[in-house]
Amino acid sequence: MEGSRVETSSAAAETPVVISVENIRKSYGSFEVLRGISTEIREKDVTCIVGPSGGGKSTFIRTLNGLEPINEGRIRILDYTLPGWRKETEQLRRSVGMVFQSFNLFMHLTVRENITLGPTAALKVSRDEANARAERLLDRVGIGNQVDKYPGQLSGGQQQRVAIARALAMEPKIMLFDEPTSALDPEMVKEVLEVIRDLAASGMTMLVVTHEMGFAREVAHRVFFMADGVLSVDADPETFFASPKDERHAAFLSKVL
Amino acid sequence: MNFEIQHLVNNYPLILQGLLVTLRICAASLAIGTVLGLVACFMKLEGRGWPYRFAVAYIDFFRTIPEVVLIFWVYSCLPLLFSFRLTAEASGILALSLFASAYLAEIFRAGINSASRGQVQAALALGIPVRVIWMRIIMPPAIRRMMPALISFLSELIKATSLLSAIGVAEMAYQASVLGSKTFAYVEFLSAIAVLYFVTIFPLSLYVRRTNQKLAGKAGH
Ligand SMILES: Nc1ncnc2c1ncn2[C@@H]1O[C@H](COP(=O)(O)OP(=O)(O)OP(=O)(O)O)[C@@H](O)[C@H]1O
Ligand SMILES: [Mg+2]
Repeated sequence: MEGSRVETSSAAAETPVVISVENIRKSYGSFEVLRGISTEIREKDVTCIVGPSGGGKSTFIRTLNGLEPINEGRIRILDYTLPGWRKETEQLRRSVGMVFQSFNLFMHLTVRENITLGPTAALKVSRDEANARAERLLDRVGIGNQVDKYPGQLSGGQQQRVAIARALAMEPKIMLFDEPTSALDPEMVKEVLEVIRDLAASGMTMLVVTHEMGFAREVAHRVFFMADGVLSVDADPETFFASPKDERHAAFLSKVL
Repeated sequence: MNFEIQHLVNNYPLILQGLLVTLRICAASLAIGTVLGLVACFMKLEGRGWPYRFAVAYIDFFRTIPEVVLIFWVYSCLPLLFSFRLTAEASGILALSLFASAYLAEIFRAGINSASRGQVQAALALGIPVRVIWMRIIMPPAIRRMMPALISFLSELIKATSLLSAIGVAEMAYQASVLGSKTFAYVEFLSAIAVLYFVTIFPLSLYVRRTNQKLAGKAGH
């Protein structure tokens, strides 16, 4: 699957910056979870975020669509700024899709309703158009025949693919994934990674928090290492996995590889 | 002891009129209790600040004192504090509304708290307006989960209306005791209203039992 990597990082460097994170900090009480993170993400970048548990990966990715408010610093995404007014944050979220570890599907709605709710309620897309999108996207993630089922009737892998389709139905410019395969049985991990890999190949800008090092090595243009609330390594995958930058990084690599 | 059905045949309109009053008081207390209960529920959901503290105290207070005491208090003491007099029925409705609001607030709160945080976050992440999240994501499952508790409470409320006979509200139990004392046919009248309470309330219990079984079955697999 080597061919599915979209571009080399040197070519990617010419595309515009779509996310710019400026020295953000976030605390829970007196405990600082994000301790001054800055970075820039360019259009079509596929960035994997790895690191030890509790390092702040989830918190970081959730600050990018305003689900976690930040205490200091600033985030610019597309034409939006965080922190910002609620209306602006709502707008931002319509352009930034998110996929959660635990799927978070609407269990009382059918698969179709799960996917059409966002476009109809937030984008004012017509019902026909929303339905067409739902069917097209379900075909794309390989479960076109499940459209009228309830999430509870699907396997974990199928549910996560519905969740991806739900996010894509908003036609986002950026996709955020927080450990999309960690809650899945091993035999279902592949089908979900396949979908994410295709999405990367289609040129979607993506940030993926993951523990799947093989996936990161193969799909990412950049790999971030986050530990103790600091983004301490930002490298292309070859460099990231071959030459550790510091002891923390080396210790992590020796554990996961 | 003989059961003279003739007493019932002669006086059934009064009993039915009493039943009507019972249902009317229930409907009114449920409506007012729902409004007050929603307010208390959202104040308590705030989780802090003075509205929260007020709601906690309010709910604890009206859930703790016996309904009879509340009824007598509203009927006899309220007019002493404020210089106005409510009719017996209005006093009864007010007392039962306060009683209902405290219980309903807790039922509403449990329902809303049972909403999945993850689903709400997913909806927020889609940029769905908060109003729509309430209507489409939070409320429908919350209402479904609240139904058994709401219907159980309705049974309690119907039973509690019989306490209003103590302040002379002409609901069903009052009519039966008045007719009983007039004719000495206590057995006939009290048995008759027992049956009427039963046929009103038992279907509600059946519903609750069925729904709880269904919910338990669902949780099972
Ligand atoms: N709501 C919260 N309140 C208090 N502390 C929190 C909260 N959420 C996260 N934390 C703490 O913040 C730190 C970072 O958590 P985070 O979930 O971002 O880590 P992570 O890198 O995603 O870990 P994992 O790999 O286990 O998912 C942890 O120490 C966690 O305990
Ligand atoms: Mg995490």
